[in-house]
Amino acid sequence: MKLTASERFRRYLAGEEVDRMPVIEWAPWWNLTVERWKSDGLPAEHAGYEALQAYFGLDKCLQTSVSCKTAQTPAPPGHGLGIMEEEDDYDNTVRPTLFPAYETMFPAGFFDALQASRDRGDTIRFFTVEGFFWYPRTLFGIENHLYSFYDYPELYKRICNEYADWLVGLFHYVFSRFRFDFMSFAEDMSYNNGPMISRAAFDEFLAPFYRKVIPVIHEYGVPVFIDSDGDITLAVDWYADVGADGMFPLERQAGVDVSLYLDKQPDMAFIGHFDKMCMKFGADAIRAEFERILPSMQRGKVIASVDHQTPPDVPLDTYRDYVALLREYAEMATHKDTEISACPVYR
Amino acid sequence: MNTELLNEISEKLQRGKAKDVSALVNQALEEGIAPDVILNDALVVGMNIVGEKFRSNEVFVPEVLVAARAMNAGLKILNPVLADAGVEPIGTAVICTVKGDMHDIGKNLVRMMIEGQGIKCVDLGVDAAPEAVVAAVKENNAQLVCLSALLTTTMGGQRDVIEALCEAGIRDTVRVMVGGAPVTKEWADDIGADCYTLDAASAAKEAKRLILEMKKG
Repeated sequence: MKLTASERFRRYLAGEEVDRMPVIEWAPWWNLTVERWKSDGLPAEHAGYEALQAYFGLDKCLQTSVSCKTAQTPAPPGHGLGIMEEEDDYDNTVRPTLFPAYETMFPAGFFDALQASRDRGDTIRFFTVEGFFWYPRTLFGIENHLYSFYDYPELYKRICNEYADWLVGLFHYVFSRFRFDFMSFAEDMSYNNGPMISRAAFDEFLAPFYRKVIPVIHEYGVPVFIDSDGDITLAVDWYADVGADGMFPLERQAGVDVSLYLDKQPDMAFIGHFDKMCMKFGADAIRAEFERILPSMQRGKVIASVDHQTPPDVPLDTYRDYVALLREYAEMATHKDTEISACPVYR
Repeated sequence: MNTELLNEISEKLQRGKAKDVSALVNQALEEGIAPDVILNDALVVGMNIVGEKFRSNEVFVPEVLVAARAMNAGLKILNPVLADAGVEPIGTAVICTVKGDMHDIGKNLVRMMIEGQGIKCVDLGVDAAPEAVVAAVKENNAQLVCLSALLTTTMGGQRDVIEALCEAGIRDTVRVMVGGAPVTKEWADDIGADCYTLDAASAAKEAKRLILEMKKG
């Protein structure tokens, strides 16, 4: 079976037979890790994001990330701080700088270049925007965002509603020009003990807007992933209910167990879940971690990948061992012998 | 004593109604209820309930934050009255996110929950150098140091603080509690911390226990 990277990814999520699991890193590597690998002998010309993927022999997986903010949007005064101090700031100083015209957001020839890489067959492309938890947080600031559910509920909803309207237009504009292999909403709405907000808050403040935009994305056949660190055991059901096709990165350190998610959400796909913290212990520990995940890989649409980014305590040779083992175990997740349900987008 | 009023303060606190808590604390004082009774039987009780619900995923971070804000509104009124009456906090904690780490939401949650136990918190913020922690412990005669780290790359800063406390010769005068997403019990044991807890509510309980233990000698 000869498949392009794009075809393999789609078939894997559709529960169809594949030659192997996609072999990807969804996130760029930490600069500290790359620096360490350079000192371990990584040639500098291979140190870039795309070049590194080729160097290690991974399926190329490249991200296009966009925002509704512009160069005129105020910058936060410090890490985690917001760009609005008063409720009126949204209308007076922030909103006028948001929501650029779609045609100004992408350079000439951008979509043709994406299509060329699709035609070559070696690259998975994903499109990323901020989610309805993440985006208001960038306006309110981390702490005030959490207060905003109580202090500014109507403003929160208006912010999300206006953003959702803009996203609907964006998705039509982008996906009518190029069908990305998947898209992700950056959320980071969980920490190591679970989601930061309640189901009730999710239903009131986030769900209506996901229900507005996800059907538009699905119209184009693009699966939707939610990117949230932390323990997403509760949140996975919430996002399933609004139509998401999958989540990542399923951090082991937050206690995530993908086999439970396959039990309760068999239609969803999951990327990540390989415990990055074991990598420094070498090939035997890496193999043991793959053995842990393999039954889930064989049960469903689990694309094993580092459950965020490889830490800087992992030597270059050990990462090479990881990739070799990833490829070995990818061959064992072929969907050949098992009935696997398709992600919602393909139904 | 007007237990109904104390219960009402606790309930308003749990719902994050800061203005109501302020008004009711003033009313309780006017009715002659002792400030330490208002603190322990209304505010601390309310915050403990919030903590328990937080641990069991009945309430989430925003609910804890607004409850803690309501608690602080009550404390703002009570603190001067408590000081006049000679009621001291049960102890002092120095809390921070360690050097190189800019994440403060977890640290702030722990601080609020610890304050909810009647413990004075000296908050050094984020990116706190070991020497700043040592200085704050000395200056405030703290019994507890709470160290937060969100990243695997910064959690080593917790070890640095413990080493600095040792070098300054004050390690035995404080208990050290560590926490944060990448932190585990094994890590806490490895670096010589006294305590690791999984969540902010447990941290507050342990903080109280450790401080009382220290004071008992």
